[in-house]
Amino acid sequence: MKRIDTTWTEAIICGEQLWLHPDKALFWEREKTLFVADLHFGKIAHFRKAGIAIPKEAAEPNWTRLRQVIVDFLPEKVCFLGDLFHSSYNREWEKMGDLTRAFASIEFELISGNHDLLHGTDYERVGITVLEDAVVRAPFLLTHEPAETIEAGLYNLAGHIHPGVRMCGLGRQTLRVPCFYFAENQGILPAFGQFTGKFTMRPKKADRVFIVVNEEVLPA
Amino acid sequence: MRKTELIQLGTDWFNQRDWEPLDFQVETWEAYLAGYHGILNAPTGSGKTYALLMPIVLQFINKHKDYRERTNNGLQAIWIAPIRALTKEIESAATQLCLEMGLQWQVGVRTGDTTASQREKQLKQMPEILITTPESLHVLLARKKYVRMFKKLQSVVVDEWHELLGTKRAVQVELALSRYKGIRPKLQVWGISATIGNLEEAMEVLLGSDVEKGQHKMVFADIKKEIEVTTLLPDEIEKYPWAGHMGLRMLPHILPIIKRSKTTLVFTNTRAMAEIWYQNLLKAEPDLAGQIALHHGSIDKNLRNWVETELHSERMKAVVCTSSLDLGVDFRPVESVVQVGSPKGVARFVQRAGRSGHQPGATSRIYFLPTNSLELIEASALRKAMQEGNLENRFPHIRSFDVLVQYMCTLAVSDGFFPEELYREVQSTFCYNSVSPEEWGWLLDFITTGGSSLQGYDEYRKVAIQDSGLYQVTNRRVAQRHRMSIGTIVSEPIMHINFVSGKRLGSIEEYFISRLNPGDIFGYAGRSLELVRVSGMTAQVRVSKKRATKIPSWRGARMPLSSQLSAMLRFKINEALRGDSDEPELKTIYPLIAKQQELSHVPSESEFLIEKMQTEEGHHVFMYTFEGRLVNEGMASLVAYRISLLQPITVTIAMNDYGFELLSDQEIPIETAIDSDIFTADHLHDDILASINAAEMARRQFRDIANISGLIFKGFPGKWKKDRHLQSSSQLFFEVFNDYEPTNLLLRQAFEEVTEFQLEENRMREAMNRINEQEIILTYPEKFTPFSFPLFVDRLRESTMTSEKLEDRIRKMKLELEKD
Repeated sequence: MKRIDTTWTEAIICGEQLWLHPDKALFWEREKTLFVADLHFGKIAHFRKAGIAIPKEAAEPNWTRLRQVIVDFLPEKVCFLGDLFHSSYNREWEKMGDLTRAFASIEFELISGNHDLLHGTDYERVGITVLEDAVVRAPFLLTHEPAETIEAGLYNLAGHIHPGVRMCGLGRQTLRVPCFYFAENQGILPAFGQFTGKFTMRPKKADRVFIVVNEEVLPA
Repeated sequence: MRKTELIQLGTDWFNQRDWEPLDFQVETWEAYLAGYHGILNAPTGSGKTYALLMPIVLQFINKHKDYRERTNNGLQAIWIAPIRALTKEIESAATQLCLEMGLQWQVGVRTGDTTASQREKQLKQMPEILITTPESLHVLLARKKYVRMFKKLQSVVVDEWHELLGTKRAVQVELALSRYKGIRPKLQVWGISATIGNLEEAMEVLLGSDVEKGQHKMVFADIKKEIEVTTLLPDEIEKYPWAGHMGLRMLPHILPIIKRSKTTLVFTNTRAMAEIWYQNLLKAEPDLAGQIALHHGSIDKNLRNWVETELHSERMKAVVCTSSLDLGVDFRPVESVVQVGSPKGVARFVQRAGRSGHQPGATSRIYFLPTNSLELIEASALRKAMQEGNLENRFPHIRSFDVLVQYMCTLAVSDGFFPEELYREVQSTFCYNSVSPEEWGWLLDFITTGGSSLQGYDEYRKVAIQDSGLYQVTNRRVAQRHRMSIGTIVSEPIMHINFVSGKRLGSIEEYFISRLNPGDIFGYAGRSLELVRVSGMTAQVRVSKKRATKIPSWRGARMPLSSQLSAMLRFKINEALRGDSDEPELKTIYPLIAKQQELSHVPSESEFLIEKMQTEEGHHVFMYTFEGRLVNEGMASLVAYRISLLQPITVTIAMNDYGFELLSDQEIPIETAIDSDIFTADHLHDDILASINAAEMARRQFRDIANISGLIFKGFPGKWKKDRHLQSSSQLFFEVFNDYEPTNLLLRQAFEEVTEFQLEENRMREAMNRINEQEIILTYPEKFTPFSFPLFVDRLRESTMTSEKLEDRIRKMKLELEKD
């Protein structure tokens, strides 16, 4: 099956072919695995519960985007790199069940993150396998928070940070944009969820940065 | 009793104290006793309080033969003051007057400072005179059976009306008055106002549309006070900075003033400046320690009260202050006032000057300290505007739907309302005169169902409709939440500053603290403080011996140049160039203006100057409207937007009071742009809205609107929500309304407030029309000019306007790498 779409950008990491999607997802060609980090679903419902009323419509685009990314790649496995759901249970979680049922042939797993507080049964019910933080799928070490120590020969894929970089140009123009950030032995995915803010990285020369600009992923 | 006898009674009271009533006082008594509504135009300290307290008392005496015996008369008069500090003075004046006129009246104060037990007491038995603030009026309207309290109400006096006008607190007053008039159709309404450009309109706003023609009067106190303005001139204009706002270099000039005056007030334009000046004054003159203090709005109330007491008792040599001391009671020992930097408005300058020289016949003395060379021209413009009595207007808010939503909920929380009745009352106000039946319908829908985009959410079904048609809040939680959020003053997110021991120091914007780490030293309230920790909305600090490295900057403190002053400025720049003026300011500035002429051009009143140049940073275009920062911000966005329609281009914008800068990585086609009529006033409104800034500014503006209208709940006392949350959720509302309900009145209000108050659309339109009649002078200077340099170094708020695709912009940019 031909998977190449002009809006995807290829990155070769540890000899593995990875596709970077402008909707802030990463696809591992050999294992047909789709990685998505920091989705923060349920954040809006969480605010609402805390007395901050936010219209429900605001949550919808994130779900649409996720469905679209899955359809784009048709992976065998979807791996969430943590912070899938922002809070304790609320009704928005049921949309996750709708999604996994719609893609019944796909395996869903979650590397648990600091915001993932749901009960085990909630995950079971919707067919998501929860994994401990730090899982090895050679050559990759999958974590939510970037691993502090990485065994030689492994390359860490993580989320949590919501990386962005500052671009600057003539005429005192600057822009802060989200990015995929690949350092020597560690790659960090941009946050999938909207309204999540971003952390401005200070790239070193050797780091490879791919910025997400609207419909494109561009090497910076 | 006949009217002359009544007046005599008032005069007698004055005579007993060896006073003679002033003409305007008697005139006001007569107008009041004859049943007029009106405005008394009088400055602070002129005896305006007695001009209106007296007839209230006389009226009562006239109506009740047994006035000496009568107690418990119910609320007779409400006196509204804009700030709490004024309430004390009025309370003592009123108490004394009532007592000596033989009345058994109670005088009560009700503000945010009033204790709960006092408030309860007042509710059980209302004093005859209640002195209060606009917010408190609405808190009373939220009480069950509030109508009883106002059954006997005769009159309402709004003190310092000019200070309220132009704020949403004035709208609160308008609404409260409309309700009182609903209960007491004969209610008499009076306002007291200092001189402003639009006094007639101020009266219209106060009285509303239901006052019959000929039923109102304006009384002028006509007290002319001599004001002496002296500009402190820099020793060598050639070496004085072209840009900057601190002016510390001139500090030695004010030491002799402080020395020879009993007390001096040093006004600065921002709180940060006040902090810095205070510290530097102490450094320059250590002997002043203990006799000099700092006073600004973020310093704790107790500390401020202490400073004020010391001021009264002549123990202060100097106080460095901000607009926090613009208002309030007079400090008799003040002999001199120093204004550091341009006050940006004529009225503000006059007001500050008036804080000095209170002895009868004394002259007010104000010293103007320019913080950069060009401000010398402002000094000269100020003097001329003062001489001509050309004071600024205060523009009233209209159609503030957020305040109306809050008010409707307030009434629904207490006794409920019937829509047709309330609509009539609301429409009688100046603010809501143009609210259409459809809009009224939308508002009713909004408070009962949340409107079309919030439907289905219980928290927006605030108000229920009873079988009788009465709109009322039945949910106790909703009612409790609403009572707690009544008020319209919304500020930047604020944190408390406490010592570790718990002692309060004041408050500070969260924005500043969020950029500090524990251990950082910052200057505050004149001390060096070390941040220990932040817990909740409190920053705990301890005193540090180290020098402060950071001074908080309070946002939104800088005022734009008023249009009165702008016009004078354009006039004076030319006078300076002619070089034949006697004015010391213009003589001093001459070399600089000559330099401008040499490097580029000095525009006459019939010319509009544009400068174009290139530096390492890119391509610059400077335009000089001399119209104030707000107009320049709007004009800059608009011009940038119109240029960006000509070709794909990205422009960074900067502005100050005099002009604005467009900066781009590519050459800006200004020559083509001029030919294609970029200064036309056609499609102005649409083009403003289309320029990205309007949307961004509306988004910011919407935060207050969301707060006031109760879309966002700030939390119960003691567990305030972090304001950052608030910001992000008001933005979500903004986006949802923008996407799903563009006709939402609150959303539209955000845009209207931006165009009217922030961009000053009308002023922009006038400026555009003027430019269209001017000759455009385009110069290509090789170096920065005296006009462009301040714009280059002192960029106030920068923003970017683009018609390029994001992808194209990014391709031209470079990744910002970590610095080695």
